[in-house]
Amino acid sequence: MKNNKKTILEIKDLKTHFFTEDGVVKAVDGVDFKVYEGETLGIVGESGCGKSVTAFSIMQLLDYPGKTVGGKILFKGEDLLEKSEAEMRKMRGKDIAMIFQEPMTALNPVLTIGFQISESLRMHFKINKTEAMKKSIELLDKVGIPAPEQRVNEYPHQLSGGMRQRAMIAMALSCDPILLIADEPTTALDVTIQAQILELMKSLLRDFNGSLIMITHDLGVIAEIADRIAVMYAGKIVEYADKKTIFHNPSHPYTFGLLTSIPRLDMEVERLNVIPGIVPNPLHFPDGCKFNTRCKFATNKCREEEPVLNELENGHLVRCWHSDKVIEEAKKIF
Amino acid sequence: MANTILEVKNLVKYFPIKKGVFRKTVGWVKAVDDISFNIFEGETVGLVGESGCGKTTTALSILRLEEPTGGQIKFDGRDILKMKKDDMRKERKNMQIIFQDPYSSLNPRMKIKDIIAEGIKTHKIKGGRQVYKRVGELLELVGISPEFMDRFPHEFSGGQRQRIGIARALALEPKIIMCDEAVSALDVSIRSQIINLLKDLQNKFNLTYLFVAHDLSVIKYISDRIVVMYLGKIVEIAEKHELFNNTIHPYTRALISAVPVPNPDYQKERIILQGDVPSPVDPPKGCRFHPRCANATEKCSQSEPKLIEVKKGHFVACHI
Repeated sequence: MKNNKKTILEIKDLKTHFFTEDGVVKAVDGVDFKVYEGETLGIVGESGCGKSVTAFSIMQLLDYPGKTVGGKILFKGEDLLEKSEAEMRKMRGKDIAMIFQEPMTALNPVLTIGFQISESLRMHFKINKTEAMKKSIELLDKVGIPAPEQRVNEYPHQLSGGMRQRAMIAMALSCDPILLIADEPTTALDVTIQAQILELMKSLLRDFNGSLIMITHDLGVIAEIADRIAVMYAGKIVEYADKKTIFHNPSHPYTFGLLTSIPRLDMEVERLNVIPGIVPNPLHFPDGCKFNTRCKFATNKCREEEPVLNELENGHLVRCWHSDKVIEEAKKIF
Repeated sequence: MANTILEVKNLVKYFPIKKGVFRKTVGWVKAVDDISFNIFEGETVGLVGESGCGKTTTALSILRLEEPTGGQIKFDGRDILKMKKDDMRKERKNMQIIFQDPYSSLNPRMKIKDIIAEGIKTHKIKGGRQVYKRVGELLELVGISPEFMDRFPHEFSGGQRQRIGIARALALEPKIIMCDEAVSALDVSIRSQIINLLKDLQNKFNLTYLFVAHDLSVIKYISDRIVVMYLGKIVEIAEKHELFNNTIHPYTRALISAVPVPNPDYQKERIILQGDVPSPVDPPKGCRFHPRCANATEKCSQSEPKLIEVKKGHFVACHI
């Protein structure tokens, strides 16, 4: 069914490297995925796995020393990597918009909320200041900000964290983007405020016909909002499937490890599972499978040869030589 | 249950707000406003709430790292608020803390062996060559090879630094350890390592923990009893299963329902609280939660509910 849907974004073998003094950091090293019309793709992983760099690569907002060195980013069939900066600027905010993690640093502190929302409206559409302000008030109302007529003239510091994040969502939605990228939009918020924002995003998604890429480290958040999930580790996607498959039949040892190492409200465990060790230094990734240093299933083959992203069944991709063993183990728990 | 090791009674901590040329006090931030609870020997009490609810201030006040404005704190039967600075310093040998941020809580200019040895030397627990032998043992205990004791904090990862922080706390063989968001800054896969380590150490040394965190899933896993705070007040205290299965306070209910559960089939009704937490400078009259509470009545805006025991060991501050 999903395959009949229109593909909005297709990432092919994306490679983004950082050329530092100490060497080349392969932050994103061969990532492939597709985003279909109207769906939410969740990208999940720990710090440094390359999930945010993937987002910034799509937006082409990378700073020196980061550079996309290979691959294709096909947005509606056109490769964004071949576009000029001027062409990209026309798309950013209009076709592809982004919600950042930290609303306090992402918003300009010396400009009013209204000015910042109307800025993109006026840049992408031919409308005057008054119309743009009117539209901004409507948007603020839509994202649940009380007294929007008054709030529109306020500065970011006058808003609470949750309100700022709402304002940023309003800004991102202002030009009806086709693709929205949210980079840890609720991480900096308190739980009850996070619940507010998640509910808001879910209700907006219902009448928003664009697609969403949701980047987070929180498996709970991803379980609520995503349709399909890509799990990233050390610059690569290690598992990629629809939400139920990821949570009920994890087939990569890293996904399995993550799911069993978090304390959960829906399960009682005597002792948490542990993924031993730490994420390897990106300057010196191990040979073979990047996860082999922390994996209890690792064999000599894993240390020598890097596994490919292999399709287990319809749409369930796994990068592991021993996924059958993981599936067996997961059956006992989930 | 075992003996009471720590008794907090009517603890109050106000921070002055100073303004103008003469730094006149124009108001008070009521960070912790009259809270009481006990901790028993060998148990873990989870202190949970959102930012600004006063949970960290509570932990720091117990150690007198923040001087409380009022109240009584009894540790092992001794009122520590009446102690002189010197006596308090000696008492802190029994009460240690692990901080949230493993980057800012270790002195970057000190070798980790000196960070851990500092307390041992100050309290004269060991002398001479014995000091570094003890440091080695402590490092081994928290899962770091003693060969690394000559290194500096920046040479370690976040998780390892948190282990060093734990070794430092253990160095004095304390009875109680305050864990102030001790695992919040860590990645998922590292977090479970540290949580398991804390549990193992507790079993080994019969430690008592006051575990301060905002993450209910972690709190539920690690605690025996849970204290829920809102805006400087305790709203509910109960044994953990009792708290989750028989939640009484509307704030606790909303807090539990707000936690995203990593299970797409998990059905629950989410209670969405309206608005933000009010400012602790000028908290709402009556019940502090009433402006956001769906069940609030006239009475709630008038008088403040007291924390009463509704069932053995289950305390709630709510009129309804």
